[in-house]
Amino acid sequence: MIAIHHLTMRLAGGRHHITILDDVTIEIPEKQRVAVVGPSGSGKSTLLGLIAGLDQPTSGSIKLDGVEITTMPESALARYRREKIGYIFQSFHLIPTLTALENVSVPLELAGAANASDRATDLLKAVGLNDRLDHYPVQLSGGEQQRVAVARAFACRPPILLADEPTGNLDSVTGRQVIDLLLSLHRDHGTTLVLVTHDQELASQMERIVSLRDGRIEADERRG
Amino acid sequence: MAWRETRAAWRHFIYFLTCIALGVGAVVGIGLFAANVERAVTREARGLLGGDLEVRVSHRLSDSGQAVLQSLADRGIVISHASELVAMTAAIDDRQAGSNRVTQLVELKAVESNYPLYGTVHVEPSQPLTDLLMPSTNLCRLPSNSHALHPSPITLHAPCYGAVVQKSLLIRMGLSVGNRLKIGQATFLITGIIRKEPDRMANMFSLGPRVLISQQGLTATGLIKPESRVRERHLLKVPSSVELQPLLYEVRGRLAAESARVSSYREAQPQLKQFLDQLARYLGLIGLTALFVGGIGVSMSVQAFLREKLSSIAILKTFGAESHTIVFTYLGQGIGLGLIGSLAGVAVGVGLQWVLPTALAGLLDSNLLEQVEFSSSLSRASVLPILKGIGVGLFTTLLFTLWPLLSIRHVRPAQIFRRDIATGGEDTVGPLRGRWGTLRRWRSLEDRTRLMTATVIATGLVSLSIWQAGSWRIGLLFLGALAVAVLLLLIVAHALIKVIRLVSLPRAVSVRHAISNLQRPGSQTTGVIVAIGIGVMVIVAVGVLERSLIRQIGENRPTDAPTFFFIDIQPDQASGFSRLIHQQTGDLSPELTPLVRSRLHAINGQPVKVEEDSDKDHEKKDEKRKTWYFTREYVLTFGKQLPQNNIVTKGAWWKPGQTFSKPLVSVEEEAAKNLGLDIGSTVELEIQGATVTAEVSSIRKVDWGNFSTNFYMILSPGSLDGAPFTYVATVRVAPEQEVPLQQVVVAMFPNVTAINIGDVLDSFARILDRLSLAIRAVALFCVLAGGLVMAAALAATRYRRLYESVILKALGATRGLIARSFAAEFALMGAVAGLIGIVLASTLSWAVLHYIFDLPWSLQPKVLATGLALTIILTLIVGFLSTFRILGQRPLAVLRHE
Repeated sequence: MIAIHHLTMRLAGGRHHITILDDVTIEIPEKQRVAVVGPSGSGKSTLLGLIAGLDQPTSGSIKLDGVEITTMPESALARYRREKIGYIFQSFHLIPTLTALENVSVPLELAGAANASDRATDLLKAVGLNDRLDHYPVQLSGGEQQRVAVARAFACRPPILLADEPTGNLDSVTGRQVIDLLLSLHRDHGTTLVLVTHDQELASQMERIVSLRDGRIEADERRG
Repeated sequence: MAWRETRAAWRHFIYFLTCIALGVGAVVGIGLFAANVERAVTREARGLLGGDLEVRVSHRLSDSGQAVLQSLADRGIVISHASELVAMTAAIDDRQAGSNRVTQLVELKAVESNYPLYGTVHVEPSQPLTDLLMPSTNLCRLPSNSHALHPSPITLHAPCYGAVVQKSLLIRMGLSVGNRLKIGQATFLITGIIRKEPDRMANMFSLGPRVLISQQGLTATGLIKPESRVRERHLLKVPSSVELQPLLYEVRGRLAAESARVSSYREAQPQLKQFLDQLARYLGLIGLTALFVGGIGVSMSVQAFLREKLSSIAILKTFGAESHTIVFTYLGQGIGLGLIGSLAGVAVGVGLQWVLPTALAGLLDSNLLEQVEFSSSLSRASVLPILKGIGVGLFTTLLFTLWPLLSIRHVRPAQIFRRDIATGGEDTVGPLRGRWGTLRRWRSLEDRTRLMTATVIATGLVSLSIWQAGSWRIGLLFLGALAVAVLLLLIVAHALIKVIRLVSLPRAVSVRHAISNLQRPGSQTTGVIVAIGIGVMVIVAVGVLERSLIRQIGENRPTDAPTFFFIDIQPDQASGFSRLIHQQTGDLSPELTPLVRSRLHAINGQPVKVEEDSDKDHEKKDEKRKTWYFTREYVLTFGKQLPQNNIVTKGAWWKPGQTFSKPLVSVEEEAAKNLGLDIGSTVELEIQGATVTAEVSSIRKVDWGNFSTNFYMILSPGSLDGAPFTYVATVRVAPEQEVPLQQVVVAMFPNVTAINIGDVLDSFARILDRLSLAIRAVALFCVLAGGLVMAAALAATRYRRLYESVILKALGATRGLIARSFAAEFALMGAVAGLIGIVLASTLSWAVLHYIFDLPWSLQPKVLATGLALTIILTLIVGFLSTFRILGQRPLAVLRHE
C-alpha cells in the first residue's frame, strides 16, 4: 500500500515559488493498476519521482506499507529504490556507454545478485531482445531501448513499477508492445503499476485513473 | 558568433586557459630569469673578472714575468695583484692554550691597495678597504689591562694587519669584529665583514669562508712557498687608447714561458654564467614539457567543447555554412583564448622568476646572484622572453586546437540529429572520439589536409624544442625522448587497462564499474595517463638522480676512506708531521705522498699548444674534453709502490730495485687515450720553468671514487729529484678526534691546510639539494599540468558522469557506492600513470647517470614508491575536486532537464 498524505512540492523559480504539487492525498493499494493523467505541467512526473524517492517533497508524507520514505536517510532510500521500485523513464535513460546486457545487469549487481549477467540475459530474452545483448543504446531503436528499460526496471522483481510516459517517445505499434509487456508483468507477478500518460487509450486499460491539474487532484476515477 | 560560443562553454575554456597559462608561465619565468642573469653578468663582466685582462698563474711570476708586467705598467696599464689560496685560520683566544684554538679552513685572498680595479667591495663598516686591511697600529693594541695579564703576540712595533671576513666565518668560529685570527705565522685583526666581492670566482663550490687580507699580510703569513697551491691573479685595467685584443695576444706571447692563462673580460665566461645558462636551458625544456602536457589538456577541452557544439555545427551546416568557415571561426576563438592564456602565463612567469632566485640563493655559497647585483625586476631585457612566451603559447594553442577542429569537416548533420535520442552520449560520434588510440585517426591520415596539418604540427613541435633548447642536438634529443616517453605511455596504458579488465573480475560493483569507466570510448583515460605520467616521470627522475648522486658521494664512501687530507706539507715538515700524527692517532706511518705540479709541454717531441679561447667554438663535448686534457695542470707524484685500487692495464709497473736510466711515467687510461699516449711515447712535463722528459712505461686504470689521492701521471722514483714539491697526507681518525687533531696540526704547522672530507661531501650534498629543489620547482609545473589535464578530461565527461550517477541512484545505488566507484577509477588511473611514470623516470635517470655522469644506476625503491603514492593521491584529489558536486545531485532535478 502506497499512502500519500498532503504532499506538496514547491520549486524556487526567480522571485516566486512554483507550486508543482499542492496538498495531494492518495492511497494506492497493492497490485493496483493506476494511470495518472493530466495536462503538461500538472505535476504527474513529479508525483511519480517523489514516490520513487528521487527527490524530497517540500512537505507531506509518503508511506510504503507504513514506512515513511520522505525522511529516510540516503542509504535507506537507495535500498528502498533497489528493492521496492522499478522505474521507467519517458526518455529511457539507459547508460549510453553500457551495452543492453550491462544496463540490465546494473540493478542486479547493485542488489548483489549472484548471477547478474545470466538473469539479465533471461530478462532481455523475455522482452524479445536476445539478439541485441551486446548492442549499445545508440544502436537500438526507440522501442528496443524502452524494452531494455522495462527489463532493467523489472530486473529485481520490485513490487512496484513506476512508468513515466513509457510510450511518449514511441510510435503507436511499438508503444503497444511496451504496454503489453508492462501489463503482462503486472498480471504474472502481481506488481503494483503506476503509470503517467497522455494516452487516453492506455489510461482506459487501468483500474483507476487519477487526474491532476495545477498540482491538485481533479478527479479519481475507479473502474471495473 | 565566436563570442556567444565563448560565453556558453566557459568551463572548458577555463581549463584551456589554465593549461596554456601554466605552460607559458614556466617558459616565461625561466626565460626572464635567464635574461636577467645574462644582463647582470654582461653588465658586471669586468667586475667579475676583476679587470679588462687577467693573467693567471699557479705560482709566483719569475723575474722575467715581473719585468713583462712592469713594461705594461709603463704603458699606462694599471695592474693589481691578487693571490688566492686555501689556508687554515685559528682563533686567538687568550684564555685558551695554543693547541685548543678553534680552527677553520678558509679561502684566503690577498690584494693590493688598488683593488678592485672594477666594481666595488661592499664591506661593513663602510670604510676604505685599505684602511681595513692595513689599520693603524693603535687599533691592534690590546686594552691595557688585558695586555698586562696576557702578553699579546702583537707588539707595539710589529706592523698591524687587518682581515675582512665573510660573516659565516665569524659564526662558525664564534668570533666578532675586533677579535684576532692567526693565519700562518701572522696575526690579523678582524676589521670588517665582506658583503660583496665583485670578482669572487663564480664557484658554486667553496671550501670555506672568504678572508680578505693585504699582500703585505700574506707575505707575513709565510704561507707562500715554491710549491704552495696558490692562484696568482694579475688584473689589468687597460686605458681606452690601448686596443684590448692585440694586447691580449701580446701578453699571452710574452708570458708563454710562465704557463700563464691570459683572458679578457669578453671571453672569460664566468662559471656562474655558464652554469646558470645551462641550468636555464634545461629548466626551459622542462617548462616546455609542461606546456606540451598542457597542450593535451587544450586538445581535450577543444574536443569536449566541440562535442557540446555538435548540434550547432550540424544546424549551421544544414543552413549552408561551409566546413572551413566553421573551422576558422573556432580556430579564431581558440587563438583568442590562447592569447589570453599566454598573457595570464606571463603573469605566472613573472611570479616564478621572483621565486626561482630565492630557491637558488642557498645554492651559491658566496651569494653569487647578489654579487652580480641580480635583480628580478622587469627591464628592456625582459621583453624578449615575454614575447617568446606569448609566441610559444599561441603556437602551442594552434598546434593542439587545429587537429581536433579538423573533425568538424566530417560532421554530417543527419548523423547529429539522429543522435538526439541518446542524449549524454557525447562519445557516440565517430569523428570526435577520444583523440588517442582510435584506429580511425591513422586512417584519417590519408586525408590530405590532415596529413599537412600533422606535418605542420610535427615541424612546429620540433622548431619550438630546438628554439628553447638553443641547440639542434639537444632540441631533437629532448623531443625524441619525449616522443618515446609518450609512445611508451600510450602503449603501456592501453595494455595495462586491457589487462586489468581481462585479469580482474572484482566482486565489488564499484570497482567493476570503475574499471569499465576507464576504458569507455571518450573517457580520455589514455590522454590523462600520458599527461600525468610525463609529469611524474620528470619529477621522479629528478628525485632519483639526486638520491643516486648523494648516495654516490656519501653512502658509498668506503669505510676506510680518510677523514682528512692535509695539504701543503713542506718537505722539511714531513718527519715532524708524521710524528705528530703518530702521537695523536697512534698511526705508525701516516701516508705522505709527494706532489709536484706541472703542465704538459710536449708529447713525442711535439710541443703542446695552449689555445686559450678554444672553448669558444667547440660545441662538441669530446673536443672540449680533449682540450682539457692538454691544457690542465698535472699534479705528479713519484714512488715505488703502485697505489691501491690502481690496476696496470698495459705495460708493467717498475720492479723493486729496478734502476732507471731515464725517467719513466705511468699514465692513467683515459688521459692516455685523450692525449694519444701509448707505451714508449714520451711526455715532456714543465715544472716551474724546468722540463722533465719521461717515457710511458705503463697505463693504469684508476678508481677515482676511492677517496684517496689519485694521479694521472706517476713518475719513477728519482725522476723528479730537485723539483720543488710538497706532501699531501691522508689521515683517518674517529669523529670525536677530528676537531682536536685539526687544532693541533694548525698550531704546530700553520701553513698546512686540513681539508675535512666529510665537510666537503656535506657541502656538495647541500648544493645538490638546492639544485634539485630548483629543478623540482619547475618540474612541479609538469605535474600541475598533468593534474590540470585530468581535471579538463573530467570536466569533459562531467555531464556524462552526472547523468550516469543519477540513473544509478534511481536504480538504487547509494552516494557512497558512486563515490567509491569514482575513487577506484581515479586511483587506478593514478596507479597506471604513476607506475609507467616511475618506470620511465628510472629509465631516464639511468640514461643520465650512465651517459652524462658515468655513474652506476641503482634502484631507489623509496623515491619510486613515494612517487607512485603521491601520484595516486594527486589523481584522487583532482578527481574528488572535479566530481564531488556531482554526488550531491538529486536524480529527479537532473533527469527533469533531460
